[in-house]
Amino acid sequence: MDTRFLLPNKFKLMGWILLVPSTILGLIQLFYLSGSGLKFLDVKMFTIYSGNFAPWGSSSVILGFDKVNFTGTIIGIFFILGAVMVAFAKEKHEDEFIAKIRLESFLWATYINYAVLIFCFLFFYGIGFMYVMIFNMFTVIILFIARFNYILYKTTKQLKYEKQS
Amino acid sequence: MKNSLKVERAIKDITQEELAKVIGVSRQAINSIELGKYVPSTILALKLSRYFGKSVNEIFKLEETD
Repeated sequence: MDTRFLLPNKFKLMGWILLVPSTILGLIQLFYLSGSGLKFLDVKMFTIYSGNFAPWGSSSVILGFDKVNFTGTIIGIFFILGAVMVAFAKEKHEDEFIAKIRLESFLWATYINYAVLIFCFLFFYGIGFMYVMIFNMFTVIILFIARFNYILYKTTKQLKYEKQS
Repeated sequence: MKNSLKVERAIKDITQEELAKVIGVSRQAINSIELGKYVPSTILALKLSRYFGKSVNEIFKLEETD
């Protein structure tokens, strides 16, 4: 398979180094700080749209500067960069078989993600659904990483059995 | 699709790992082909054919369900 869209193998380790801490920090921020941020990360930032739930409310800012907090921004960006690196760094022996597992895992992850989302649409409402949306931003790639690595692990384990026989 | 890769490998007395290295694929790929879990691309089939000195038709055979 043409793998020019994949990252070099060394990005994998770098990805994990970004992904693990940002996941932990993200969960801490979400559940222990209730989504609020660290004071020293308050900044004035150019925004396309910034405001509260009521759209186009009087306190909202459109295409202008607003006082925002960068905690979630930094954690989110680090998470995405880390997850993309982990997901799309080449394996040591990237070949057509690995490419097949990759594509299948993506299909699988997308199906599961949206099946879970339909379930959540039905059974989560209000602030609960907002939490679902926050998680759903990150679940496709996490499901992909989990499924892809599980299949790789399974096929590698099979190799060991073959050797013994 | 059936294949006689394991037999060919036995004749040449080469392990999955060695074969994978020669052909330039992962060990998992060779293993999965032998187990009938993975159908290789034409390119990979031709490389295997070249290595064993046999035509692709001799190594890979269609089954009725194909």
